[in-house]
Amino acid sequence: MNDLALAAKTEAALKPKISAKGVDVYYADNHAIKNVDVNILDKTVTAFIGPSGCGKSTFLRCLNRMNDTIDIARIEGEILLDGEDIYDPKVDPVQLRAKVGMVFQKPNPFPKSIFDNVSYGPRIHGMARNKAELEEIVESALRRAALWDEVKDRLLAPGTGLSGGQQQRLCIARAVATAPEVLLMDEPCSALDPIATAQIEELIDELRQNYSLVIVTHSMQQAARVSQKTAFFHLGNLVEYGETGHIFTNPEDSRTEAYITGRIG
Amino acid sequence: MTDIAMPGAPRKGSLLVRDARTARRNAAEARFRTYGLIAVLLGLLALVVLVVSIIGNGASAFRQSYVTVPVTLLEEKLDKSGTRDPAVMAKVSTFGYAPLIAAGVQDAMDAAGIEIEGLSTKGAGGIVSKDAPAQLRDFVLSNPGLLGQTVDFTFLASGRIDGYFKGRVTAQTAALDKNVSPEQLLLADALKEAGALETRFNWSFITAPDASDQRPEAAGLGVAILGSFYMMLVVLALALPIGVAASIYLEEFAPKNRITDVIEVNISNLAAVPSIVFGILGLAIFINFAGLPQSAPIVGGLVLTLMTLPRIIIPSRAALQAVPPSIREAALGVGASKMQTVFHHVLPLAAPGILTGLIIGLGQALGETAPLLLIGMVAFVREYPSPPIDGIFDPATALPVQIFNWTQRSDPAFVERASGAIIVLLIFLLIMNLTAILLRRRFERRW
Ligand SMILES: Nc1ncnc2c1ncn2[C@@H]1O[C@H](COP(=O)(O)OP(=O)(O)O)[C@@H](O)[C@H]1O
Ligand SMILES: [Mg+2]
Repeated sequence: MNDLALAAKTEAALKPKISAKGVDVYYADNHAIKNVDVNILDKTVTAFIGPSGCGKSTFLRCLNRMNDTIDIARIEGEILLDGEDIYDPKVDPVQLRAKVGMVFQKPNPFPKSIFDNVSYGPRIHGMARNKAELEEIVESALRRAALWDEVKDRLLAPGTGLSGGQQQRLCIARAVATAPEVLLMDEPCSALDPIATAQIEELIDELRQNYSLVIVTHSMQQAARVSQKTAFFHLGNLVEYGETGHIFTNPEDSRTEAYITGRIG
Repeated sequence: MTDIAMPGAPRKGSLLVRDARTARRNAAEARFRTYGLIAVLLGLLALVVLVVSIIGNGASAFRQSYVTVPVTLLEEKLDKSGTRDPAVMAKVSTFGYAPLIAAGVQDAMDAAGIEIEGLSTKGAGGIVSKDAPAQLRDFVLSNPGLLGQTVDFTFLASGRIDGYFKGRVTAQTAALDKNVSPEQLLLADALKEAGALETRFNWSFITAPDASDQRPEAAGLGVAILGSFYMMLVVLALALPIGVAASIYLEEFAPKNRITDVIEVNISNLAAVPSIVFGILGLAIFINFAGLPQSAPIVGGLVLTLMTLPRIIIPSRAALQAVPPSIREAALGVGASKMQTVFHHVLPLAAPGILTGLIIGLGQALGETAPLLLIGMVAFVREYPSPPIDGIFDPATALPVQIFNWTQRSDPAFVERASGAIIVLLIFLLIMNLTAILLRRRFERRW
């Protein structure tokens, strides 16, 4: 009995949260992602690195079907979330996106109050039965995003009035509020100053306890600091994927080495 | 290496000396500024001339001369049978009332001790509007109990007398005019002296219906304003939902393909179609085919809706386009559906732009004349349309058409009326544009 439980637990830990098999993405004729296979683990930070235009964002956006909104984008292959094909015709992307939250490069709070920003997701997904529950969700999301102490006295102030770093944490709180299982972040710190960046990185490390995180970054130091797994993309190919420490110290592919030593990029 | 000429050799020369090239560039800029200023001034000048001439011609339409006369409601003239039965009394036409008014003017003259050589009682009555007998008759038919008494009435002075006080008519022109005589002008002066004639603000210019060619003093804008208002209601009720729905669909939901391209081009073209074409269309479809009544605000409103739709759709789409895509991504990213994204986030942000487009579209519709001429809104209408919704099927006219109509009439008093009506129309347009600006200020959000 004990053995069985232990076995189940290890299996759950090893079972990938997201598993992509043979994914190709085309923008009209532009082959942006070429036959990518990758397994993303739960309670792990996975970093996507690579030179600009190599398809990191494109691949990230496949994971919550944000590419559906681009008319010319076409995706082939299979992406499984907990073993379920997210591109199955029966899947409603709206439900998927509640499970796979996203934080964007530029902080994009709604031009509404801080409270409304965070409560929007729970509200449309019917996650709270009454106002008190909603307030509870908002508070815990803001706490998780390490923003609560800074905004608790002005929840009704516009979210757009916060500083850049606070706005980005607000966006993280907004994503966290819908209780996702996976959190996708596309260069979440590229518009922020070093102090705000450090706060977000710390936050990412904490969020790892509960979520599977995928973060796109063009900063290799950041990838090294926050991630446990790293995937290196180049010209639409997934060149190398493995333990972050391993990739940075012992890259197997010459292109990875060239990139992390600063010769391409 | 060194023998290749460097394209950008370092600049030499003092900063305190202006080189020829800089001088030329600065001169060109100064010239351009002057041209721009001249253009703006010319535009302003045109505006000032327009406003001054309209106000100069039209402001007096808001003031009108009134004569107060004691009228003795003679029983033997108005109710020969003595039954006081309105149905019987109605047999006496306005011609039966005119002499009573003339006698009243004579009484007023006698009371004030005015005597004018060569002015008959009938001539004295001529200073009162031709509209007065009808007014008196209406009064008597609804108050038969007052028969036999003398009642003070305030009637409009005739258009010529009114024109005399506004400087349009003089003793010289009166001598050549069969509608007025110099003696009548003398009488008017004397009555004014005696306090029986006064010029005051003229609400009935705004509320009264149109009047015939013979009585410009009684003509008002009431029916035209109501007609225009009803048409705007129709346009608002149709063009707002259809236009906004169409622009949201085209901008947010429609796939970008050939068909939507064609639709897009067609909408832009429709906005450029001359309005009279919509009038012909309205005549053919709404009146001849659908059998809607002529001259009715419903038809005018439908035609104006057709004309206004593209003019609402185009700015609405621009307003939707101006909403940053990051807002849409944010909403989709937390799992909002397309529709929730549009209605919760995009539409509120586009609302000020859409409202502005709507109000400007309505303003254009309000000032539109040509299509309305074709669907018979130019008719002479004296009956007020009933209250909405039935009223939109009653005959009415519209403000710009009324202006056009008055400019066609021969009596110079109508020039004043037309200019006054233009002022009213401009005030309405000004109010609408101010509303647009206020709404935009009020709802504008920055992000
Ligand atoms: N919306 C789009 N439409 C067309 N092509 C796109 C779009 N987004 C990205 N691409 C193309 O896909 C490739 C990968 O882009 P992207 O995923 O944004 O790269 P990265 O995020 O790694 O810089 C690029 O060649 C880019 O031009
Ligand atoms: Mg990118």
